[in-house]
Amino acid sequence: MLKAIREPFGYKNILTKEDIQKKRNKKVDRATNWGSTLGHIWRIVDEQRALLIIVLFMVVASSVFSLLGPYLIGKIIDNHIMKAQFAGLSKLIFGLIAIYIGLSLSLFLQNYWMIGIAQQTIYRMRTGLFTKLQKLPISFFDKRQHGELMSRMTNDIENVSSTLNSTFIQVFSSVLTLVGTLVVMLSMSPLLTLLTMIIIPVMFVATRWITRRTGKLFKEQQRALGALNGMIEESISGQRIVKAFSQEPRMIEEFAEKSTKLRQIGFWSNVYSGGIPKVMNLLNNASFAIVAGVGGLLALKGQVTIGTIVIFSEYARQFTRPLNDLANQFNNVLSAIAGAERVFGIMNEEEEKDLASDKVIHQLQGDVKFNNVSFKYEQTDATHTIKNVSFHVEAGQTAALVGATGAGKTTILQLLARYYEVNNGEITIDDTPIQAISRQNLRSQMAFVLQDPFLFEETVRENIRYGQLNATDEEVEEAARKANAHDFIMKLKNGYDTFLTADGAEISQGQKQLLSIARALVADPVILLLDEATSSIDTVTELKIQEALERLMKGRTSFVIAHRLNTVRQADIVFVMQQGELVEAGTQQELTEKQGIYYKMLEESNA
Amino acid sequence: MKTMFSYIKPYKWFAVIAISLMLVELAVELMQPLIIKKIIDDGIVLQDSATVWLWGSIMMLIAFLGFIAGITNSFFSAHASQSFAFDLRNALFKKVQSFTMTTFLRFPTAGLITRLTSDVSQVQQVLFMSLRVMLRTPLVVIGSLIMAFYVKPSLAVYLVIGAPFLAIFLLLMVRKGITYFSSVQKRVDRVNRVIQENLQAMRLVKAYLRGMYEASRFEKVANALKVDTSKALRTMEYIQPILLFVMNVSLLVVLWFGAGKIEQGETQIGELVAIVNYALRMTGAFSMFSFIIVFISRAKASADRMEEVLLIEEGLEDDEMDKGLLEVRQRGTLRFDNVSFKYPQTDDFVLRNISFKCEQGEKLAIMGATGSGKSTLLQLLPRFYDTTSGDIFVDGENVKNWSLEKLREEIGYVPQRALLFTGSIHDNVTWGNTAASIEQVQEATIQAQIHDSIQHFPNDYETRVGQKGVNLSGGQKQRLSIARALIRKPEFLILDDSTSALDVKTESALWSALEGEDATMLVVTQKIRTAKGADRILLLEDGLVSAFGTHEELMESSILYRKIATSQQEQGVDDNA
Repeated sequence: MLKAIREPFGYKNILTKEDIQKKRNKKVDRATNWGSTLGHIWRIVDEQRALLIIVLFMVVASSVFSLLGPYLIGKIIDNHIMKAQFAGLSKLIFGLIAIYIGLSLSLFLQNYWMIGIAQQTIYRMRTGLFTKLQKLPISFFDKRQHGELMSRMTNDIENVSSTLNSTFIQVFSSVLTLVGTLVVMLSMSPLLTLLTMIIIPVMFVATRWITRRTGKLFKEQQRALGALNGMIEESISGQRIVKAFSQEPRMIEEFAEKSTKLRQIGFWSNVYSGGIPKVMNLLNNASFAIVAGVGGLLALKGQVTIGTIVIFSEYARQFTRPLNDLANQFNNVLSAIAGAERVFGIMNEEEEKDLASDKVIHQLQGDVKFNNVSFKYEQTDATHTIKNVSFHVEAGQTAALVGATGAGKTTILQLLARYYEVNNGEITIDDTPIQAISRQNLRSQMAFVLQDPFLFEETVRENIRYGQLNATDEEVEEAARKANAHDFIMKLKNGYDTFLTADGAEISQGQKQLLSIARALVADPVILLLDEATSSIDTVTELKIQEALERLMKGRTSFVIAHRLNTVRQADIVFVMQQGELVEAGTQQELTEKQGIYYKMLEESNA
Repeated sequence: MKTMFSYIKPYKWFAVIAISLMLVELAVELMQPLIIKKIIDDGIVLQDSATVWLWGSIMMLIAFLGFIAGITNSFFSAHASQSFAFDLRNALFKKVQSFTMTTFLRFPTAGLITRLTSDVSQVQQVLFMSLRVMLRTPLVVIGSLIMAFYVKPSLAVYLVIGAPFLAIFLLLMVRKGITYFSSVQKRVDRVNRVIQENLQAMRLVKAYLRGMYEASRFEKVANALKVDTSKALRTMEYIQPILLFVMNVSLLVVLWFGAGKIEQGETQIGELVAIVNYALRMTGAFSMFSFIIVFISRAKASADRMEEVLLIEEGLEDDEMDKGLLEVRQRGTLRFDNVSFKYPQTDDFVLRNISFKCEQGEKLAIMGATGSGKSTLLQLLPRFYDTTSGDIFVDGENVKNWSLEKLREEIGYVPQRALLFTGSIHDNVTWGNTAASIEQVQEATIQAQIHDSIQHFPNDYETRVGQKGVNLSGGQKQRLSIARALIRKPEFLILDDSTSALDVKTESALWSALEGEDATMLVVTQKIRTAKGADRILLLEDGLVSAFGTHEELMESSILYRKIATSQQEQGVDDNA
């Protein structure tokens, strides 16, 4: 039958028999450790537990009230209207009004408080996760995609949030209503109750038939959506390239292809998942008919009253609804718990270890030694990125690191900043091993200008001030002047208060580097690390900055990486790196005279 | 909203059929209390078992009828909503692709992405739901009311007492919902932005020990989100209890007066039961209202955001695409004639009165201080932006007369920040020329000095880059993006400081490999050494041409150029070495 309906719409069948079969033995996206995940959530709920218990009471109250309502109405019909006895009617009516007030109030309060609890819990999870991310080592971020972490912070938490918001109350009240309804029904007419319950096995079979198909479809839909979203993101952020190469038609075509796929899968998952409420509706209506029909026949024999039929017809509805809810919520709860588990997975990641105590503050002089340092990013890597590197830079000296791309220069700086820990050997500052200096202590006296300048969506002023949060406006401007950024900043629309956007389209790449340097200058560090900090800056401007930098570097230890060798000509000492090894070291004079690798590099760059 | 509806139009018949089927379902549901009335009044009260059997079976039958209508409805509504979303998504994507760079500046990247992703699914879902259940909810209310009136107007009247009050109340709630939820959406955007920034800038944050500072910044935005979400959701929570209460009280009023009427013999019990049943159904439908309002408020916000994009009529490249072929007169030549330019929404000119000429096969180096307008100048050539005044001539023809596609076909553009797409190395190199053969690919990569590195990758040319692929160093990315431009065999090769991450040795090998190129080259560079190899040098200063000529001429005439040259004289090795 499906085929006959399918064809006219032009949708291919995407579910194979295997897909349906496979689902039987395979549980997708389920949490592996329920207990600990739920326990974790319970701990986060924390001081709100008392309120949560009050909410539970409210749910009990509203369930009782919603059971009592129809029950009393049935009674009114049977005892008063049928028998034309209106004596106690007003009393019952007032009782009902009280019940309805109670119902509305308890419904409102339980939701009102639950929203508070859920939002507070989500807030704690969100900020807890974010704070945790700040404490994780860089290697954690190397191994994971931003997109994946983003989805952890957004989708997974959102998932837990909506489940906490609605599901918690719903599941609890569904169970209560179910049990309550059953009890009342049984007490009124066991036979009719049994007839109403006929639908339960039918419901289970039908739902299973559907979910077996939707599980696979939902997963496929998610995948198709992901592929589509990835493409959208790339094509929009790479728009300049798309235009330069006139590839718009191809992009549109590729997009239509992915879009079609999503539409195909979307159609089927809509059709199948849309079946569940329809089946429920059918069963609902069928049980209603059974109650009315059979109830009517029983009433003829005087075995049930009309009131009972009225109550049952209402209860039959109340009975299927919580079942329906439970079936729906089951999936939500499963995926929320799986989401929560992923979030807590990050919470359990090992943080940046710091053996050094924060209490001992080292006032650094900046005497840096590498003793036989080796390092690789992954334990499984075949070769070391840094191999047996030893050197000594005295306090106040400027050291230059030169060498081809991939020689390990940036890694040296990252080890010094303790982004990573060495595998072998030792790095010391002022003869103290850096592991004994807390990161807080170390980095507070260090400024690192990174290869790729990053600016926050903030004003120019705040971006510079990032180096030293309590710098005054004058200090910020002073740093900008030294970095030769002041002039261009003043030409911006709002000067220092110009708001920078994510793409930073307002300013050029070189200007971004100038701002990062200003940021380092305002930090006033003991040790200064410059990683290709001036690669996009023209040489005249660079010279001007260098005068400032030279003044600044006096009395500070500096490490400078640059491809342009003249950038490093004021260096006291030059280290030449090659494939992770330190192959030459010495003053410019010495290396030039030696006529080795450095000399050759100089020659090449002057050729 | 009008634009949204125009996308539903092609599927209106499917929608109409879906709605009709839903009405069948609804009718089934609304008939049930009526049948109960029959069973009670004609069957039980009159002691007629045949009637009970008859109406009981009819009830069962129409339940199945409703089911079949419901299932068929799924097909029609799924088709209508999926097709609607499909068209909408494609239209949005096409529109965005046709944006000029100027139009792009008006939208933040993240904003465009959400419009194409979550906003589309939001609206699609609402359509699907409307065709199936959402429209049904108010219809249940209205239908029940009509049926109740049909059964016994004198009793049904009590059900509508609360109606005006409820109508005003709901209208108010919808209004509030739309405002609250759009502010929640803004908070979510803000939270996401802080997360994204931090993921990108993790090294920086750590370098400056700003972890706790960032955490407290995040707490602020997360708290704002919490407060606003609670407010929005809590406001919605007023709806259900109030609706329930009003309906329940109306029900009691019906019972009270109904009892009186039965006593006076004006009403039959079955009628009263039917009306009570209708009232209960209305109450049940009302509990869906708060959910629907939330849904609609969010969809409205999404629809508005998408319309913002769809309704853009100006600043599109479409009309520029299909201009006829030009007769090329002076292939490979380039002329800037008194060109001035400022970015939209800014006051200061970035380029002022730029004039220069380039012959076929010439290599022009462009130099100048940071922010002097070098990159901007290059971006005018493929017409990413149009000049504010003055003209640019490519192959002797004003760029404004070119079809954009033909113009850009002539140009191999290598941007300052190398950007690759998800896919294999091969895919990325052939990006600009899908028809390229393996030999052509290798020729380009050898020229770009990246062939050897590629052979060391795990799957050489089939190695994936981008998401889930290898991490390429900055220098490798730059060389790949140069290869991507070379494979097009362009008339003009534009390099925007695209070798900054290369070490000296690789860079000089690259330049000598490019020696043989026929293309007219425009090269932004910081290095005198590169400039020396150029036929002519254009020196910019604050958006003005400071000097134009050969290296020797500029050494002679330009103070600024000499200054740059001195800034680059290497120590220790004299110039003859």
